[in-house]
Amino acid sequence: MDGDSKERVRLVDLIIPVSAVVYAIYYVVSVRDFPFQAQITGLLLGSLLGLLCTVFFIRFVWQARRSGIRIGWIDLIGEPSIGLKRLIFAGLILLSISAVPWGGFTLTTFVFLVASFHLLGVRPLTRVLVTAATAAIAGWLFFIVLLGARFPRGPFELLMSYWI
Amino acid sequence: MDLTSIDTLSALFLHALGYWWIMIPAVLIGIVMGAIPGFAAHNTIIILLPLTLAFDVETALVFMTALYCASHLGGGIPAILLNIPGTGGAAATTLDGYAMTKKGEAAKALMLCFVASVIGGLLSAVVTLFALPVLAKAGYYIHSVEMVVIMLFGLALIAAIAADDMLKGLIAGGFGLLLGSMGADHIYAAPRGTFGFLELFDGVPLVPALVGLFAVSEAIVMIEQRFVVTDGSTNKTVSWGETLRNFAFAISRWWQITWTSLLGLLIGILPGAGASIAAFVAYQQSRLYSKNPELYGKGHPDGVVAPEAANNGVTTGTMVPLLAIGVPGGSTAAVMMIVLQYHGFPFGPRLFVESPMLAYGVIVAMAVSYILMLFMIFPMARYMSRVTVVPTNYLVPIIVAFSLVGAFVPRGFIFDMGIAFAFGILGYIARKTGYHVAAILIGIILGPLIERSFMLAMRISNNDPMVMFSSNIGNVLWVCLILTLAVPPLIERRRKRAAAASGATAG
Repeated sequence: MDGDSKERVRLVDLIIPVSAVVYAIYYVVSVRDFPFQAQITGLLLGSLLGLLCTVFFIRFVWQARRSGIRIGWIDLIGEPSIGLKRLIFAGLILLSISAVPWGGFTLTTFVFLVASFHLLGVRPLTRVLVTAATAAIAGWLFFIVLLGARFPRGPFELLMSYWI
Repeated sequence: MDLTSIDTLSALFLHALGYWWIMIPAVLIGIVMGAIPGFAAHNTIIILLPLTLAFDVETALVFMTALYCASHLGGGIPAILLNIPGTGGAAATTLDGYAMTKKGEAAKALMLCFVASVIGGLLSAVVTLFALPVLAKAGYYIHSVEMVVIMLFGLALIAAIAADDMLKGLIAGGFGLLLGSMGADHIYAAPRGTFGFLELFDGVPLVPALVGLFAVSEAIVMIEQRFVVTDGSTNKTVSWGETLRNFAFAISRWWQITWTSLLGLLIGILPGAGASIAAFVAYQQSRLYSKNPELYGKGHPDGVVAPEAANNGVTTGTMVPLLAIGVPGGSTAAVMMIVLQYHGFPFGPRLFVESPMLAYGVIVAMAVSYILMLFMIFPMARYMSRVTVVPTNYLVPIIVAFSLVGAFVPRGFIFDMGIAFAFGILGYIARKTGYHVAAILIGIILGPLIERSFMLAMRISNNDPMVMFSSNIGNVLWVCLILTLAVPPLIERRRKRAAAASGATAG
């Protein structure tokens, strides 16, 4: 049974070609009113991509008719325990990026690291806090103090600017 | 200055060696910065510009060249150990370098990377020193038409790395090309496919795309593993004896190092071309002429040697246009031009007339930096592979947190961190569904460059497509490209026929 399911084509394999076709259509539409020279790249690449994806879709349907079809969600995300961790981790990355303008680099990195270490199973909490704090402060010293990266300043950077 | 005289050469060498005190910290900074995605040499040099302006001009140039060379070497370290290239030039190194790490050969892969980088860089510096006037002319003969064909060589790599499923590989490459064509067009500055984001008018920023496709996606994949290496093989700290054997093995690839570094040097001379193109073209050519092309992508030593040697061959190449004709061949050379200008020194041919020691000294300083680098990096090869035994639950969050900084730094937009995240998700889906992320990256890097050269050629010829076949050098390159694409399948077919025939005879 398992062997059979492995042979069946996976719907998740369509994500990239479908995204490519959707973007190609959007690209071509976005240049429709421009002069020909601004359109030519989109038309050439869009046609090429469209052709390749059409061949892929035909192959997919042909294989699906021969051996069946499955979603392949587990192949993409992983077993439920891992998959959930993955989704939460991706959410944490997105949250930390959104929080940087207010929290600044150091505080956001610290919170992101604490949450991620905890999510990925680092224990005990003291180790999580110490490791996250060490990494965040090392990052602040290296990237901001030493290299002068122009990150938005958060509470930590503002506090430290009084001393440094 | 008579470069055929031993006295002159030894004076230049000893003069450059006298700057060891500034080269050693520059090399260390360069290796560290090269290993962090986003902190390429020119960014670091710009950050340290106030410091370099405070030095006298010679010290400043030696500092910058040493840092620049070392950053090209540093980019290969995370590419091999974590499948995350520190620079675009090291993206091709991931293909076989990380595969070697997965096989428990991280120390060997690192040694191959270091030796190829050092010898490749050293060799191209020596060749540049003696052949500078000839090399300087190469830039005059290569125009937009030839550039299109040269970049198509790099693009041909998509077909090579997509050997497992050609259709998926081509779709990934085509998608990358279209994403790379995002942004204002080269003639009318009309925004194309930008979703209305102003931040995308200049096109997809390369560093966030690199960080996303490799670092973020790899980190999300790593969550399911306890360690980077999972198949039972281990990357222990190797003994000194093993380190020496790895060194000897790397030296035995001298021919591969030689020709790929010279290829890198030639590509480096061309304005607008760079380490990424050189590394991809060298990898593709190395695979083409290999007796075992099927081993590439599975941890083949030459798959590490070729891109690393070419990547470092580029370093002196980018200096040639600056020194010979006064036109910077890359962003780092442009910063050096600023330093020369600040100190009131001329650049181009006048530099050789007025300050020959300084002009030739820059190239010799590169050679000396590579020699120093070998002694500094050699012991590190023993221990660096230990990174792969750090548990992933510590490694993954730290990789993401710090590589996102790399995505932010080049332009200073938080938006770029979002781009890195988006490409991270794209890269993750690509990895899990069998599409090669390197193929997407090749498209993103080469897409806008090919488009620019193509549009320029068309513009010059009043939109006559035959301009693509209007130059002798271009036509020779076209023939080489067609042979590159046509010969491997023919050889493969012949091999299969021979194998089938011998099987039938044995049966």
